[in-house]
Amino acid sequence: MQSITPPAVSGFDEMFAREGAVRPHYSSYHGWLLGQSNELLHRKRQEAELLFHRVGITFNVYGEESGAERLIPFDVVPRIIPEQEWRHLEQGTAQRVRALNQFLDDIYHGQEIIRAGRIPADQIYGNAHYQPCMQDVDLPNQVYSHVSGVDLIRDGEGTWYVLEDNLRTPSGVSYMIENRRVMMRLFPELFAGQSVAPVEHYPSLLLDTLQHSSAVAYPTVVLLTPGRFNSAYFEHAFLAQQMGIELVEGADLFVKDGFVYMRTTAGPQRVDVIYRRIDDDFLDPLAFNPDSMLGVPGLLSVYRQGKVVLANAIGSGVGDDKSIYPYVPEMIRFYLGEEPILENVPTRLCRRPEDLQYVLEHLPELVVKEVHGAGGYGMLVGPAASREEIDSFRQRLRARPDNYIAQPTLSLSTCPIFVEQGIAPRHIDLRPFVLSDGRATRMVPGGLTRVAMNAGSLVVNSSQGGGTKDTWVVEAPSC
Amino acid sequence: MLSRTASDLYWLSRLVERAENTARMLDVAWNLSMMPFVANPRDEMMAPLMISGTHELYMSRHDDVQVREVLHFFTLDQDNPGSIFNCLRLARENGHAVRGKITAEMWESINSTWLELKEIRRGGLDQYGASAFFDWVKKRSHLFRGATYGTIMRNDAFRFLRIGTFIERADNTARILDVKYQIGTLYGSHHGVPSGGDAMDFYRWHALLHSVGAYESYRELYSEAINADRVAELLVLGAEVPRSLRSCMQMLCELLPAIEGQTGQTAKRLAAVQFARLQYGDLEHVLDTGLHDYLTDFLRRINELADTIREEYLEVV
Amino acid sequence: MKLSIRHSTEYRYSEQVLHSTQYLRLTPRPSARQRILHWHLDMPEPASEASDGFGNILHVLTLDQPHEAIHLTATGEVEIEGEDREDDDTRISPLVYCRYSPFTRPDSLLHELARSHQRAAGTLTNLEGLSETILSRMPFTPGVTDVSSTAAEAYRLRKGVCQDHTHVFLSCCRALGIPARYVSGYLYSDDSEHVASHAWAEVWFDERWHTFDVTNQTRRPRRHLKLAVGFDYLDACPVRGVRYGGGVESLRAAALVRQTGAGDQ
Repeated sequence: MQSITPPAVSGFDEMFAREGAVRPHYSSYHGWLLGQSNELLHRKRQEAELLFHRVGITFNVYGEESGAERLIPFDVVPRIIPEQEWRHLEQGTAQRVRALNQFLDDIYHGQEIIRAGRIPADQIYGNAHYQPCMQDVDLPNQVYSHVSGVDLIRDGEGTWYVLEDNLRTPSGVSYMIENRRVMMRLFPELFAGQSVAPVEHYPSLLLDTLQHSSAVAYPTVVLLTPGRFNSAYFEHAFLAQQMGIELVEGADLFVKDGFVYMRTTAGPQRVDVIYRRIDDDFLDPLAFNPDSMLGVPGLLSVYRQGKVVLANAIGSGVGDDKSIYPYVPEMIRFYLGEEPILENVPTRLCRRPEDLQYVLEHLPELVVKEVHGAGGYGMLVGPAASREEIDSFRQRLRARPDNYIAQPTLSLSTCPIFVEQGIAPRHIDLRPFVLSDGRATRMVPGGLTRVAMNAGSLVVNSSQGGGTKDTWVVEAPSC
Repeated sequence: MLSRTASDLYWLSRLVERAENTARMLDVAWNLSMMPFVANPRDEMMAPLMISGTHELYMSRHDDVQVREVLHFFTLDQDNPGSIFNCLRLARENGHAVRGKITAEMWESINSTWLELKEIRRGGLDQYGASAFFDWVKKRSHLFRGATYGTIMRNDAFRFLRIGTFIERADNTARILDVKYQIGTLYGSHHGVPSGGDAMDFYRWHALLHSVGAYESYRELYSEAINADRVAELLVLGAEVPRSLRSCMQMLCELLPAIEGQTGQTAKRLAAVQFARLQYGDLEHVLDTGLHDYLTDFLRRINELADTIREEYLEVV
Repeated sequence: MKLSIRHSTEYRYSEQVLHSTQYLRLTPRPSARQRILHWHLDMPEPASEASDGFGNILHVLTLDQPHEAIHLTATGEVEIEGEDREDDDTRISPLVYCRYSPFTRPDSLLHELARSHQRAAGTLTNLEGLSETILSRMPFTPGVTDVSSTAAEAYRLRKGVCQDHTHVFLSCCRALGIPARYVSGYLYSDDSEHVASHAWAEVWFDERWHTFDVTNQTRRPRRHLKLAVGFDYLDACPVRGVRYGGGVESLRAAALVRQTGAGDQ
């Protein structure tokens, strides 16, 4: 018999309703869970770790001794989403990504949205991720963000919010797939009992998306990685292998006569599509950061001529910047003529004097983020911060207000995880992956659920000790 | 195949082969050094330093040649780039880089080798035992080769793995033969002990055959007592001996043309020429040239071939 | 004014270069102000022609055979019109040029310099004042700074060449929120010994670009042939390359600009 620590009274829990009743979509799993011993779950978790080690699903941590590898903690309790609810999320994220792709195309062409006065010009031109070299460059199918990761959370009432968009090099999809594989090996009986929507076809969808992003008939697609010391190297190798494409580093590619080639044992071979997992700034040392040896000298010149496709496009970052985020609902209305299906977290832009005033007065209750930050670095979580931390942050805010945005502290929903003492609630978020190739906006049913492994913590980033769990989209039990 | 991938595969197997050869060479030197008629055990430990061309590096950090120091230098020394420890560490790094191109069995074999080696190093060579360590290295190399042979598709990945093995093996057999031969000659003139000389000679050539795993072959093929000329014939021209120069060149000649695409003309030509020299060579020619000169020429050619393979297939700027 | 240009650049390497790729901005774009009569770029191998994001003509030269030297020569003849006015030659919003770049990020001293000219920011007099101040504080002195010196570094050295003057000027303009860009090109001077390669700035106001040549304290680009524009030196420099191997690089460059009148030749 399993001991289950109930969730906090105030928040929203994925498995349990307020009064402790099991939510319908979890009833089957909950029944099974009650019958499992602690020892069994413990053993299963160890087995999972062994499996992860064997496939080499490790993660390099910045700042640790070079080559240090470790596993992202994996939890054996799945996060379950009823199919009905998934449809809502799917429509909402797809809508968002469609609008963002149109926004990027507009920003790099006619800039209708600026002329219409919906977004201030200096918000775009002053943004470090706006790449002037992309102005008036026509991309196949007008797609900028081929692969987008949209981070979703829910508040204490269970309402879904978009926390941020990731249009540059969103990572984590390999964990979505590996988590499912491991769960199916550990608990085959659970998958026999109910219909969990499959996610393992993601790599073939991704390959299809990448192939269709090029006008070339049978394009050669490669995955460009910064190399094996990158924290997401495993994912790069995994995806390349799953798609059956070459995993290349900058030095494997070169530019000649207006095309990109890779060096192979059979001589130079032309490359048509590059799924790049390197930031803009490192892509071409002749156009961007001159010190970077990760990229390909001359790549930008070929790209601007339309002789190679980059996924995602150079300059996509202007769409996922935290200072642009508050305008996304407006983009949806402007480009699609629709009302946003998913809400934004109410956000204050510290560049606005009245917002800055409010933020400075309410720091202890707010989350303040750097507009260009990522991975949970450089942010202040008001309720969890000491007085000194808040004071020092206040000075940074005053010095560069346009560098920050602020949001209310949303509690994040909880989901049970397996800990030493049994089952206990932890905060989670969700990152579905959206694929766009101009014909369709597609996603596999599910995503990456990230977990804050420490009780009460709201930080789910893997770089800061967060874990992951499998995400199930299940058909609602027929009543 | 990407040139970088081919290069990683080539070096993966080459370094494993190097680790095995180093273990074989040391095993023999160490055993010889314990022979009762060996005047100075240190003389025998000079051989591995000469064969591998690391005498200078060794002397830059040690006052003289001591058995224990030489053993450490070649096995677990982190500061010797050619130590077994570093060969297997780099082999594993290369394997990691091409994890998606090799089979799970191959990866697990090289990865667990590395993990065990780190454990062994923690305890030290004395604790593990030198002989046991050499056996362990050979066994791990066999395991990796077996996993490769038994699981990987017969594609370019397989070919570059095998090419790495045979380039390294040809180089090693030539070196080991050359140095043993030189030491043999050196002793004859230096010490001028005709009486003990015969026994020592016998043991020296006997040890050499063991070190390249060809003792049984010799016994099978020749009925006469072990002597320098026959050993040379066997290891240079022997068609049936897997570590002979001829066998290595034959494999390279089969592998290179099978690689997809039209590149590598020069490498294929160099390999074919060298194979023909061995295939249609005879012992008289080798001895007329002088074994040392013959082997020096062979080493130059095999290194030229290795450089050409690098330039034509493997080079990433 | 009709000018003939001969600009040769030679890179030599102490070791073999295995592979190199260069972005060349050695071809001027025609505009109302500069008419290109003829122009030729001599390179070791044919290069592919493109345009970069700033509207400059770009040649991409890849040498994938081992080499120990790269020799480039640009020759041509142009007619500079008396017109001071620049074409609006790119579709990038001038507002983009408010952005700091690696070479123009101001430190506290540059902020202070900018602020001291802030009172009437955006007016001509004021920018001319800034230009004068810069030249008087950092007189033209070759050999003190190099091509990798940033605006902040050069200003602290109180000396510099046209590249440094331009960077400092750009840094201050941008600190004041005024769009300004870097221009690389050639300058004709009666003294033929004078270095002909030159850099100056352009500032956006009154809906057009205005020239500010800090080094020569002129606003009239009558002897200026424009090659390329960008955020700073890195975007506009005539040759920017990446090489693998090569050891130590030595550079020999000579740019010769002569006036060719109707009576000549």
